[in-house]
Amino acid sequence: MTDDHMNDQPNDAIQDERIRALAAGHYNAPDGSVPRDAMWSQISAARRVARAGVAPVAAIAPAAEAVEQGTDVIPMASRRRTRTIVVWRWSAAIAAGLLLAFAFGLKYGQLSNTTLPVKTAVNTPATPKRIDPPLGAPEGPSPSPTPNGGEPSRSPRQNPATHPSSEPLAPSVPRDLASADTAATTLYRAAAVQTLMQAEAVLTAYRGVEATGRDPQAMQQAARWARDVLSSTRLLIDSPAGRDPQMRALFTDLELVLAQIVQLSGTPLQDSERDLIDRAMRDRDLLPRLRSAVPAGSATS
Amino acid sequence: MNERELTARVKLGDEAAERALYDAHVDRVYWVAYRMSGRHDLAQDFTQDVFIRAFERIGDFRGDAPFGAWLHSITMSVVLNGLRKVKRFDQREAVLEEAGMVTSSVREAEPDLKERLAQAIDALPEGCRVTFLMHDVEGFTHEEIGAALGTTAGTSKAQLSRARAKLRIALADFAGDWIQ
Repeated sequence: MTDDHMNDQPNDAIQDERIRALAAGHYNAPDGSVPRDAMWSQISAARRVARAGVAPVAAIAPAAEAVEQGTDVIPMASRRRTRTIVVWRWSAAIAAGLLLAFAFGLKYGQLSNTTLPVKTAVNTPATPKRIDPPLGAPEGPSPSPTPNGGEPSRSPRQNPATHPSSEPLAPSVPRDLASADTAATTLYRAAAVQTLMQAEAVLTAYRGVEATGRDPQAMQQAARWARDVLSSTRLLIDSPAGRDPQMRALFTDLELVLAQIVQLSGTPLQDSERDLIDRAMRDRDLLPRLRSAVPAGSATS
Repeated sequence: MNERELTARVKLGDEAAERALYDAHVDRVYWVAYRMSGRHDLAQDFTQDVFIRAFERIGDFRGDAPFGAWLHSITMSVVLNGLRKVKRFDQREAVLEEAGMVTSSVREAEPDLKERLAQAIDALPEGCRVTFLMHDVEGFTHEEIGAALGTTAGTSKAQLSRARAKLRIALADFAGDWIQ
């Protein structure tokens, strides 16, 4: 403190010392006792909360050990996270497929309108009896769709009117407008298949939630999932994939049920509301139709 | 168990060691907080915040300096930020105008020296007030004050000089008695 008074008057140091002593003794001077225990109870409570914030990490450890030991224990949080990632991946894939399909449709649809004005009418069978799965997918012993794996006589370029929906999932490079239109249709169909697979999963999940206690969080998750699939379904209804009457009917029924799930699952369901959804699914035979429309083996792609 | 061992145990999450460190330093922290705030409720809040923050950041304490010095740097940070939050700065700035009037007022109007001193200290600009209290009353060095306030030791010296000058002026009526 000696260098603090270099420029001061001689008496300033004395005054400063008096002021300092007076301040130390009287300005907000300690009085009474320190409330140690009261403060410590607050501090220890805050510390416990802070430690509890770290606890979930420690709680995962036993599960991680179980995995290391070979037992198939996966924490619920991890399962939910995985399921969410899968949903988003599927949604992104569907959206990308639809965008690509619409881009093809816009580009080649305009051209085909100028050169092949009756193309659409030719492509749509008058009385389809069933939804044709992709080539070689549903009935053969080898369920995986084989791109370009069909017989040469069934090439879409050679017979587009009679086999409009038997295209392989992966299109060949279009060489002319007809093949470009076929490629667009194939993309629409691929997007439709993905959407139907998603829809089947949503409906199955919804029924699972219904059957196992109707957990509100799981119900809301199903509703969010249904909302994503509903958007894709509505896009597909107005796409070339919806020109197939049978597919369009399936999309329309699916839209109705998904919309019901979305609307009703945000709040606790009444029995009548649950019956409404169940009846809509049952009357329309929705899940079996979805399963028959989705080629076997597509779920693993 | 010495302080180094205690801090090592606190780093491992030992609650008993936390309590031991708390008991060793709580009085000093509390009274500094009270000195700066003038209110027991604020001093209590600040003290709790100081120790919670210190235990949370104990990993940052390397042990180069005494734990008390490290703790008091946290104390000053907590207290000053807390005081800003309760907006006492503005109140003191307003009172500063009255400090000049106190200087010119006659001694008989306010005979109580302690009260005059308290008013004069409260009327100081916040930087001067904090520096005066930390240095002259609580015994911190200019380096510690500069670190706590985010300034330099030179700034702290300048603030202290200003604070002392203002207090001398504010208490000039008593100067004759003190010198004698």
